[in-house]
Amino acid sequence: MVVGLREFALRTGDGSPALDESSGEELMHVQPSVAVALGDRSVESPGTLYITSRKLIWLSDADVAKGYAVDFLSISLHAVSRDPQTYSSPCIYTQIEVVEDEDEEDEDEEESNGVLDLSKIREMRLVPSDSTQLDTLFDVFCECAELNPEPIEEEGEEENGHNWVFSADQMVVGGGGEEDAEWQISQSPTSVIGHSNGDESIAQPMLEINDQRFDDAEEMVHENETKDH
Amino acid sequence: MLFFSYFKDLVGQEVTVELKNDLAIRGTLHSVDQYLNIKLENTRVVDQDKFPHMLSVRNCFIRGSVVRYVQLPPDGVDVDLLHDAARREARGA
Repeated sequence: MVVGLREFALRTGDGSPALDESSGEELMHVQPSVAVALGDRSVESPGTLYITSRKLIWLSDADVAKGYAVDFLSISLHAVSRDPQTYSSPCIYTQIEVVEDEDEEDEDEEESNGVLDLSKIREMRLVPSDSTQLDTLFDVFCECAELNPEPIEEEGEEENGHNWVFSADQMVVGGGGEEDAEWQISQSPTSVIGHSNGDESIAQPMLEINDQRFDDAEEMVHENETKDH
Repeated sequence: MLFFSYFKDLVGQEVTVELKNDLAIRGTLHSVDQYLNIKLENTRVVDQDKFPHMLSVRNCFIRGSVVRYVQLPPDGVDVDLLHDAARREARGA
């Protein structure tokens, strides 16, 4: 499930963030003296940026309860931003993929009731006080993005899972020429009802509808009787 | 791997990447990886009003999973070749 930006305050004794070592998460880079700006909000500092193999963590130096984290899986784009007219300091600009809520239309959802909803933040800037480090940070972000490809669903790996049709000549039944076995519509070519074109799990004996919504009205009273259609 | 190979051949050309959040970025294709993560150089944003913050960005890294379309230069595409190659790959040949 894609979460987006969230609060993060789990620290170890030395102030560094607690990582999920059981899943193999490791620290890739630490950048002290980094300020963070979420969305259109003003910049927050001072803080330290911790880049792990799974996510980005910013921990406030001033407030031990304050910190933010976002998984690399949720970072759609990252770039170095240097134009002083667009933003006062050179920074790493990132876009965060946000799960869109169907009910929402309001662009100002972030602070609708005074409380910041981090999961709606779509842009984040990281401003290191040492701007010579920007290219290094950009490269680390690239590396970590590559370490976090989309998780593969179990079925998706199998190339045979797709039954795409490419042209009319593939609909010939009984194997006309070059066909692979998976393209043949078996047994009764004149009746395709109930056959599922290869995916047997969805094939049904015939069109058997046992849904009581289709029952005649008077039969609805006797729900436990067997239906005889 | 077809499109990974295809995009590798397009490195150096101008493309426009349209993301699933509707942002469209034009730039020179710098590199691509097996996940179709894309690095663009000399970027400029197509719809500047929507994402004003991107104006100052010149190079960027785009996660492959958020790409909706990659718009290719019309004379940079051999449609028939691509068509045949895609068909072969889908059949598992």
